[in-house]
Amino acid sequence: MKAGIFICECGPNIRDAIDINDIATFARGLDHVVFTASFNLLCSEEGQNLIERDIKKHNLSHVIIAACTPKEHENTFRKVLSKAGLNPFLLQVVNIREQCAWIIKDRVLATQKAKAMIAAAVRRVALHEPLEVKEIQCESDALVVGAGIAGMSAALTLAQKNRKVYLVERLSCIGGKAARIEKVYPHLECASCVLDPLMDEVLHHKHIEIMTFSEIQEVLGSYGNFIIKVKKKAQFVDSKSCIGCGACFEVCPVKVKNEYNEGLDKRKAIYIPYPGALPHIAVIDREHCIRFQGKECNACQDACPFGSIRYEETDQIKELKVGAIVLATGFDVFDPKRASQFGYGKIRNVYTSLEFERLLSSNGPTGGKILLKNGEPPKRIALIHCVGSRTKKHNEYCSGVCCMYSLKFSYLIKEQLPDSSIIEFYTDFCLPGRESQGFFNNLAGKEGVDFVQVKNIDSVGLTQRQDNILITYKDMHGKRKKLLFNLVVLSVALEAARDAGKLARIFGISQGKDGFFLEEHANIAPVSTSIGGIFIAGCAHGPKDIQSAVTEGQAAAGRIFSQLIPGENLFLEPITAEVNEDSCSGCKTCISLCPYKALTYDSVKKNVSVNEVLCRGCGVCVAACPSAAIKARNFTDNQIVAEIQGLLQG
Amino acid sequence: MNSFEPQIIAFLCNWCSYECADSVGRAQKEYPSNLKIVRIMCSGRVDPQFILEAFQKGASGVLILGCHLGDCHYKEGNVQAMKRYIFLKELLPQFGIEKDRLRLDWVSATETEKFTMIVSTMVEDIRQMGPLVARR
Repeated sequence: MKAGIFICECGPNIRDAIDINDIATFARGLDHVVFTASFNLLCSEEGQNLIERDIKKHNLSHVIIAACTPKEHENTFRKVLSKAGLNPFLLQVVNIREQCAWIIKDRVLATQKAKAMIAAAVRRVALHEPLEVKEIQCESDALVVGAGIAGMSAALTLAQKNRKVYLVERLSCIGGKAARIEKVYPHLECASCVLDPLMDEVLHHKHIEIMTFSEIQEVLGSYGNFIIKVKKKAQFVDSKSCIGCGACFEVCPVKVKNEYNEGLDKRKAIYIPYPGALPHIAVIDREHCIRFQGKECNACQDACPFGSIRYEETDQIKELKVGAIVLATGFDVFDPKRASQFGYGKIRNVYTSLEFERLLSSNGPTGGKILLKNGEPPKRIALIHCVGSRTKKHNEYCSGVCCMYSLKFSYLIKEQLPDSSIIEFYTDFCLPGRESQGFFNNLAGKEGVDFVQVKNIDSVGLTQRQDNILITYKDMHGKRKKLLFNLVVLSVALEAARDAGKLARIFGISQGKDGFFLEEHANIAPVSTSIGGIFIAGCAHGPKDIQSAVTEGQAAAGRIFSQLIPGENLFLEPITAEVNEDSCSGCKTCISLCPYKALTYDSVKKNVSVNEVLCRGCGVCVAACPSAAIKARNFTDNQIVAEIQGLLQG
Repeated sequence: MNSFEPQIIAFLCNWCSYECADSVGRAQKEYPSNLKIVRIMCSGRVDPQFILEAFQKGASGVLILGCHLGDCHYKEGNVQAMKRYIFLKELLPQFGIEKDRLRLDWVSATETEKFTMIVSTMVEDIRQMGPLVARR
């Protein structure tokens, strides 16, 4: 071993605080050290050239650089080693600026500490091993789960020449919850005008394969090379010949609640979720179809002018090979039956916000007319904010969209029923961003729209009074008050989707305590998860509005774009764990500790192996292994012990 | 005894605590030169053997600093560090090492005041305690 030590003076920063000559003389006396040099600024181009030249000139095998924190220039110097023909990991950076020069005023003490640190680095670097940046072949195709606005945005951003995107949707149509909304804030733009072109593009995109009425069953493999099993549920209708004419559902004898209209009206057992649903293809609901309950019925088959009905169709399992995954599986709304004071489900004309969206919708159960159950338009309407949000009883978080959609409701109600009067019951307004406050201000001036602040939404109670609804509440002064209404809309919280837990288990990702999928880092890695190659977007990751959902869908796609390049390999982080199969006893202690599911047990070999694609090199498993069978590359036991010894004994 | 200067080995995780030490440096806040830092990727990498090794090779104190619970860059590595720490601390007297010579704390990258206080307090406490019994 021929070690060379380069000392950076960092201008006056290190030079003034430490005796450079003294440490250089000391370093030259250390075992293995054949060369020392100091320079004004090693990170400068001149400094880097000097290191490269001296490595070659003195035929150095290992390099120690005493300078600033390795977090600043370790990578810079690794590149210099590479340029000089050395493996970049045969380097140890000694932080004599942040840890000596800048924190010790006494020059003698600072010099003394710097010497100990250099001695430690020499002992450590002697045990360094060359590491290789490995590359693996990878699939550049991607899977997007959930064809709502976030999933569609991700798919459209990802789809390109040489990259196919599989867009898997649980329901028989795409568009998600956004497709059930009539108008979107802040511009009260027609939602279809925004969404339909997007849906059309997704449907007809050369590089997007849509799999509706499909569910993910199993996920194997890891970043770059996932194998996904998708169950395409039998739809019993041939998607190629069905044009969605509706002849079949006219004759179907079975009526069930239409979940797409939040149960506000009925659909048949063969149905299209709503007029204009895409793809516009009928589906048989086998749970309710009497034929599937063993009764004789061919009504839909007989009525179909295109011969599209296929009772014999079965569920199909399809295997997909993809490099990365975006989960955009959306949300469900808070069920207000869990807060009994609102009388939801018992009192007539009390709706959730999503039900009210359907009432407003031109393809909803009333064709967009706001009507009471008796067919009359309402005169007095109450909107209650924060139902299920911002309360420790249900969801502590603010759903962030309810204020804005409630204000939107007021605009739309006044547009349709100008003589109606509306009261919005709220505790606080959440109106962040460029346009929200203005949206509120414009409404606040309108006649017949009032805002009543209550101290606590839990103090609001609803009771039936003949055909009307009596709302009692405590005002800000704690005074109990009451008002009468014809119709009440509960602005319900956005919650984690009911199947979020099941999906989290299938994909091996974590959920927050609220059930939403957990990001890798709340600020700087908001759309990645702790599992490499699996990204999250939209309301699956937390309540958000359409703009944010689209942003996340595109962001997740961007993360994949920059790493999975068609035709190119995936580069792996070299500082990972490594298992010595001979000494592994197969106790599996490490497996439960790994947050990245990078360790797997081979029941044939009876030992554990590391998936280098998933490992992030934290070393938790290394410290836990009772057989010392796992090595943390570049942070091995003997490297760390040598460093400790050097720091203490010089 | 007053001239006794303890050597303290500190294991700092790459993300919060090593970054915090760098922040202390950038702010040019003084702390005792007795602290010698070993950088690791995660506090969960600290093998109890490293700690015993440090005491054996001449350290009078060992400090582990990690990210705050809930902030670990690797999710829960610091929780593993804590579990091992609690366990090892109980065992230390068996080796003739006072429990208080081993400390664990959490610092975020910006908690420079906390960092210098932890270090200064520890150095002073251990100065008062004197060398390890085995070495006296």
